[in-house]
Amino acid sequence: MSENLERRRFLKCLGASSLILAPLGCSSVKEKEDINKTHYVMVFDQNKCVGCGECKEACNKANHLPVGKSRLLMEEQSSAVEGQPCPHCGKTNDCGCQRKFVRVSCQQCKNAPCVTVCPTGAAHRDEKTGIVTMDAAKCAGCKYCIGACPYDARFINKETDVADNCDFCLHSKLAIGELPACVQQCRYDALIFGDANDPTSYVSKLLAVKDSVRIKPGFGTEPSLRYIPIVKLGV
Amino acid sequence: MDGSIEFTMGLSQGIAWPWPIAVYLFFAGISGGALSVALFIRFYKKQTENTPFLKAASLVSLVTIALGMLCLVIDLTNPLFFWRILVFYNLNSVMSVGVLVLNAYIPLVALVTLFAFEEEIKACKPLHFLLPIIDKLRVIRTPSEKLVLVLAMSVCAYTGFLISALIRFPIINTSVLPALFVASGLSAGAAAAKMLAVSVFKEDLHSKDMHTLHSLEWPVMAAEALFLFMIIMSLATGNAGAQSAFAAFHSGTWAYVFWLGVVGMGFVGPLLLNFATGKAFSHSAKAFFLSGACAVVGMMCLRLFIIYAGQLNAI
Repeated sequence: MSENLERRRFLKCLGASSLILAPLGCSSVKEKEDINKTHYVMVFDQNKCVGCGECKEACNKANHLPVGKSRLLMEEQSSAVEGQPCPHCGKTNDCGCQRKFVRVSCQQCKNAPCVTVCPTGAAHRDEKTGIVTMDAAKCAGCKYCIGACPYDARFINKETDVADNCDFCLHSKLAIGELPACVQQCRYDALIFGDANDPTSYVSKLLAVKDSVRIKPGFGTEPSLRYIPIVKLGV
Repeated sequence: MDGSIEFTMGLSQGIAWPWPIAVYLFFAGISGGALSVALFIRFYKKQTENTPFLKAASLVSLVTIALGMLCLVIDLTNPLFFWRILVFYNLNSVMSVGVLVLNAYIPLVALVTLFAFEEEIKACKPLHFLLPIIDKLRVIRTPSEKLVLVLAMSVCAYTGFLISALIRFPIINTSVLPALFVASGLSAGAAAAKMLAVSVFKEDLHSKDMHTLHSLEWPVMAAEALFLFMIIMSLATGNAGAQSAFAAFHSGTWAYVFWLGVVGMGFVGPLLLNFATGKAFSHSAKAFFLSGACAVVGMMCLRLFIIYAGQLNAI
């Protein structure tokens, strides 16, 4: 009898507490992603990139950027271990065999700090595509977005005096139904672009089978730019 | 920090927020701090007259917030775009909320200053056109002073919240920063206002208001030191990013600014001037102005250190 009562009380408490706890769970700040909505992603395959820099030139041309400014950079890195001979050529330093490149550009975060901090709403998410882009007519040039970006991927466009970022060519190539300029230009297929929420797209098939990583995932910004890291060379 | 892929380059080429922002944080802190302390004393002691300290504090507050706004506009890439911040709002942004606060704060500071200077305005003929305005608005003097007290504290705290939203800088992105900025704003604001009260508004060095201030200053300073200590400890014992940023406290130019400017001038200076010297000197006008200047310089160094060392140590 008493056991029964205990159980009844336990069930009652369970019901009551779930009533209290359930709304808390629902009030999570993060938006649930709508899988029917397009989510443009770009994949950078480090195994294929040779660092030719043509993507950068194509980007500058397509987006009419002032001389000396670019929405993307290539960082050259070396996987050689300092002081140890290169497994390919045997040289101890400056062998150049183990160069690798990393694309540095706006990470198109799903949870973008630049959009949150922008006081005027100039740094915003495009309604139709969800791409983070700029409304140059609203930007006051306070540089809050530049400081807030964990990737240091934003800059001031000297011609317009407002902040700028890679927006997957939203207003240039994408607007006329083409792929972003860098993706079109890449001769080595190191850049793949498409809708990750479309199961038939190449990019979602690729992401399903390949291991890809995001830069600085600890910030919780959920970038839409994904990287396929180089597999270890030699040995 | 051992990611499988990482990059260290950036597109912004340098520090996003240079010295004008540090100066702005300094001015806004002084403005909010000076007015908060003056109004706090006014309400606490139920003063109804315009004390020299209230006059000095409201004047300091008005002038510094105006200079601060000037710094803010200068720092924009195109100062002519400043109106956009006043027209477009994004309430998710700390800066936008701050603009709303400042929009209310600045006119109210001007109003409070107008009330505090009633006698001076009466004595000055060309300013007599202001007297009917004062008479008309007299009924809202107390409510506007109460409101501006809240707003003044908000402005101090806001300067901290503004920069602590920059998540990639461990020194800047700390939750204690707004509290630290409130404390240092209060102490430097009070110091600036009391120096002006004594030198221009003929306040007696040993008046009752000055005594209240002196008894307020040390606990505020202790709180400030405690907040700084909290930030340093959380960096020294934090994750890899925090620990790497801890280097700012022991190497590089900004470490000197911190130890000589913030700790030396801001904390040790006033302590030595008041407690390590003879009674005759520590009660003199010289010691009074020196320790006041120390507090103000220390606060400026703190803002410079936070802005520069903070942005130079990103993760």
